[in-house]
Amino acid sequence: MELLRVEALKKYFFSGKGFSGPDKVLKAVDGVDFALEKDSVLALVGESGCGKSTLARLVLRLTTPTGGRVFFKGQDVFAMGREELKSFRKSAQIVFQDPFASLNPRRTVYDTISEPLIIHKIGKRQDHKDVVAEILRTVGMGPEVMTRYPHEFSGGQRQRICIARALAVSPEIIVADEPLSALDVSIQAQIINLLMELKKSTGISFLFISHDLRVVHYLSDMVGVMYLGRIVEHAKADDLFARPFHPYTEMLLASAPKISVGDMKKPEGIRVASAGGEAPSPFNIPSGCPFHPRCPKRFGPCDRVVPKLRESEGRLVSCHLWHNPE
Amino acid sequence: MSLLEVRGLDITFRSDTLPVTAVSGLDLEIAESEIFGLAGESGCGKSITALSIMGLLPPNASASGSILFKGMDLLTLDKESKRRLRGKEMSMIFQEPMTSLNPVLTIGYQLAEVLFTHLDMSKRDAMDKAVELLKAVRIPSPEIRVKEYPHQMSGGMRQRVMIAMAVACGPSLLIADEPTTALDVTIQAQILELIERLREERKMSILFITHDLGIIAENASRVGIMYAGRLVELADTADIFNDPRHPYTIGLLGSIPKGKGTQLRPIPGNVPRMQDLPEGCKYENRCSYAISACRTAEPFMYKVSEGHFARCIRTDEVRWNS
Ligand SMILES: Nc1ncnc2c1ncn2[C@@H]1O[C@H](COP(=O)(O)OP(=O)(O)O)[C@@H](O)[C@H]1O
Ligand SMILES: Nc1ncnc2c1ncn2[C@@H]1O[C@H](COP(=O)(O)OP(=O)(O)O)[C@@H](O)[C@H]1O
Ligand code: SF4
Ligand SMILES: [Mg+2]
Ligand SMILES: [Mg+2]
Repeated sequence: MELLRVEALKKYFFSGKGFSGPDKVLKAVDGVDFALEKDSVLALVGESGCGKSTLARLVLRLTTPTGGRVFFKGQDVFAMGREELKSFRKSAQIVFQDPFASLNPRRTVYDTISEPLIIHKIGKRQDHKDVVAEILRTVGMGPEVMTRYPHEFSGGQRQRICIARALAVSPEIIVADEPLSALDVSIQAQIINLLMELKKSTGISFLFISHDLRVVHYLSDMVGVMYLGRIVEHAKADDLFARPFHPYTEMLLASAPKISVGDMKKPEGIRVASAGGEAPSPFNIPSGCPFHPRCPKRFGPCDRVVPKLRESEGRLVSCHLWHNPE
Repeated sequence: MSLLEVRGLDITFRSDTLPVTAVSGLDLEIAESEIFGLAGESGCGKSITALSIMGLLPPNASASGSILFKGMDLLTLDKESKRRLRGKEMSMIFQEPMTSLNPVLTIGYQLAEVLFTHLDMSKRDAMDKAVELLKAVRIPSPEIRVKEYPHQMSGGMRQRVMIAMAVACGPSLLIADEPTTALDVTIQAQILELIERLREERKMSILFITHDLGIIAENASRVGIMYAGRLVELADTADIFNDPRHPYTIGLLGSIPKGKGTQLRPIPGNVPRMQDLPEGCKYENRCSYAISACRTAEPFMYKVSEGHFARCIRTDEVRWNS
């Protein structure tokens, strides 16, 4: 079943109303389409500034789009009335990167996790203690932590509390924006395992944003690769990691340091970075294929014709190498 | 011969209550022209180890032991000589270049300043040399870039500028403390390539600090793994990844996702604060190999093979199994 659908979604920021010249337009999200199936994890990857967080905020109606639509179970999220919106807010939760900033330092763990229960009038007040204890158990914490405050916990434990808060209202989808980035490697692995268990036991779908390709491969079913506000490749995670189609995906995968245990070979000499240049400013998106200035494979039409995101061998790619630019 | 030899390094912070020992009994050697990777999770003491080598410890910290650099003990060397070494013979780059760049001076001026302070160069020559240095770190249109200010550059370009400043006087040791942690993987790959090229061209030694074992695997020739202020395993890079022999190293490696379907084996518990470490082996309370003997005394470094050491009394039995 399709849980979420995003159509031609755009978010532009306007700035620099100067004395001379027109407004400058920053195209943070510039025409994105995707669907998220129930019971699955869709990861968004791409360099910083490519629009991942803005897209996440749009999907959750935390900001208004410049164009395009978002459907949650067939309902237009931006056309929802009060009641529908309230139920959407319950169904779609978010977990942020920084578990320090996203918890109120003056509220106990119990207050934090029971708050959404009160807001959404879930269960009887006198049962909340049991409910909270049960949710804490799901995220691997004991009931004794309920009376404690955020500062008493490590980063990993705080992220567990944030996840517990998101779980409290039994959401159907969790948007997780770089939920592991602030954590140490050994703690990241604990949270990854927790997310995997949740995925199996609850059927919650995830929109998972991360810059760690190893984690993305491990955790996600589908991957959308973003570049300058657009999705340039959308494929099954296994397919994408086995063989990237888009030259940008190829560049990203080749840039990530490889690790293998037990059969590591000594690298010979200097590893030449496959990545050329840096992403241009979203104020100034290149003509034709936005990736063409950095693309080692560009040819004839690339600097003139904008490639469309189209199907090729069971995935979506926007690159002239994969489709004739007619 | 080693360029740098650290012996029995202890670093202690004074505090209102008890002093906190943040680094204890650290030994390491860095050979000429090698990349030595120092890895471990946050708070384990990587940065202050680096700062103690640079002579830049904060005022509430003190170091003991010895740090021999080209035969001189940096811990007993006078302030003035240390200041002269810094920037000339050894230099350091950080995760966030913005904190070490002056926002109101041009890139060119800041580069030139390093040159005329240390190399007795005229300001004019130094400005010319600045352009050359920007070229050496592969900054496009260096003639234009020298006139720019730090905020006009991307994070990756600023890190290149920091590297240019660090190598300006031809140091024999470069300390790189998480220099790519704030950058995208694509830019990280470029910076790593640059560092590696400069090392080869200039025969510099590099102390590369990172929490990312992937970077170590691809770039370092030797590796030290730190936990709670101690070096717990030391080996050639291939040995660390092919035959890790400290349970913490195994825990770190088991925490890294390696393809779908493989089991992730995280380390239980949390990274401890220096104030509440166990008595014996500092890893004992998170270690699946721990026995009662681990609780009584802190293990020393056991020799696993030539050049391979692990701080674990059970290292003979400790094995990676996939
Ligand atoms: N509120 C805002 N006002 C102006 N520009 C913004 C705002 N939020 C994001 N941006 C810009 O939009 C682009 C995409 O940002 P973001 O969605 O945060 O990217 P990512 O999460 O992929 O790093 C960036 O260039 C960013 O500077
Ligand atoms: N300015 C300081 N004052 C007191 N203690 C400090 C200070 N800086 C670092 N420490 C202590 O030193 C330990 C190691 O810090 P650091 O070297 O920065 O770790 P790493 O670079 O490995 O993340 C910290 O866990 C902390 O206990
Ligand atoms: S369309 Fe052209 S420039 Fe763009 S990714 Fe494909 S080959 Fe490269
Ligand atoms: Mg973001
Ligand atoms: Mg550090």
